[in-house]
Amino acid sequence: MGIMRMGYAHVRVTDMTEAKNHYGSTMGLYETLEDVSPEGNKRVFYKGWDEWDHHSVVLEEGGVGVVKYGWKAQHEADIEAIENKAKTFGLTVERMSAGENPEVGDGIRFTTTSDHVFEVFHSQTAIGTEVGTHNPDPFPRHLVGIGVPALDHSLITCEDPKLMEKLLMDVFDFYPTERIQTSLEDDHELAGTWLTSNNQIHQMAVIGGPQGKLHHFAFRLDDWSQVGHAADLLTMDDVAVDVTPTRHGITRGQTTYFFDPSGNRNEVFGGGYLAFPDRPTNVWTVDQIGKGIFYHSRELNERFTSVLT
Amino acid sequence: MATIIVQPSGAEIFISPDDTVLAGLQKAGYAYTVGCRRGGCGICKVDVLDGSFTYNRTVADSVITATERTDGTCLSCRAVPDEDLTIQMRDASLRLVNPLLGQLNAKARERARAASNAPEEQ
Repeated sequence: MGIMRMGYAHVRVTDMTEAKNHYGSTMGLYETLEDVSPEGNKRVFYKGWDEWDHHSVVLEEGGVGVVKYGWKAQHEADIEAIENKAKTFGLTVERMSAGENPEVGDGIRFTTTSDHVFEVFHSQTAIGTEVGTHNPDPFPRHLVGIGVPALDHSLITCEDPKLMEKLLMDVFDFYPTERIQTSLEDDHELAGTWLTSNNQIHQMAVIGGPQGKLHHFAFRLDDWSQVGHAADLLTMDDVAVDVTPTRHGITRGQTTYFFDPSGNRNEVFGGGYLAFPDRPTNVWTVDQIGKGIFYHSRELNERFTSVLT
Repeated sequence: MATIIVQPSGAEIFISPDDTVLAGLQKAGYAYTVGCRRGGCGICKVDVLDGSFTYNRTVADSVITATERTDGTCLSCRAVPDEDLTIQMRDASLRLVNPLLGQLNAKARERARAASNAPEEQ
């Protein structure tokens, strides 16, 4: 089926000690590796308790923002197919060798039209979930902090969301589940798009803005009560909260936005409806963008389109 | 303890030791456009016209450029005043959104001023 999910988000942090406190103690991710990058930067690798691959989040000390995203393909042969589609799209693709990213196998790497670095891989060292597969309990008994189970999705910005949507559709076989358009007419401008390859409501979203920027990356939760509990913990740990729990009109997901100690925006995201490729795409017009993003307040806060890393 | 004088209004705000410029202004009841409050987005930059400050955390070069480190640019969420600071807002205006906190801050400033001006006991 090609791309199954966002395998990892690799982001920069200004201070590793503070970042580890946030991603380890507040988010409750499991640290799987600590090393130093070839450039000499400290790195820490994490997974959520319900993830089986070696890592889904990589922190690298020095700066802020996103370094790259890794996408996991179902079959080894998918990599070559995606490489060919990327070349047909006009992208420059390079081969990536096993070990270039610790515990990640061979793959490809390219820079998108949005100026983000994407890697595609098929294998990562399997560690297993924290509950295992043999008569598993529904969750680990001693979760730390929020105890997020898994990485979910990311929102990025770029100057031409329509071109980036086309890239994700042509190269990754993604399809848009929801869009924000300037009108319902054919000559509309695309302001934002939410895409996936499977039943997950979105794996990558793109809105108009500067090239190469990170809006947020999100962790999965089940529902309102978990989002509310997460927000309580954010206050206890004095995390800078961007948006207190609310619903997105787009995706119907329940959410709270907050910032890591370096200013990268995080989200915990619960719910959302099941996506299907044959389901008609939901379209929001720009005049209703407030309701689409924050369903209750119905207005974009002053940070939504300006605060990026 | 330091005073922040905000231009163009000339508002004087009393700030506790170790508080950042942003934290001091917010505690005194003021608001302006800010973003992540963690040094990552650069939205809360102001200009320092007089006085010096120190960043209490590492600030990314992509947020404060080499030029901005010497031209008076001040990332207010990470800047702790070393002494009295005169700052100038950029696009965002400073608004007193909680007058009660503003009044309490003014009284604290009066008290600190009275204490520092009192003749020392011999």
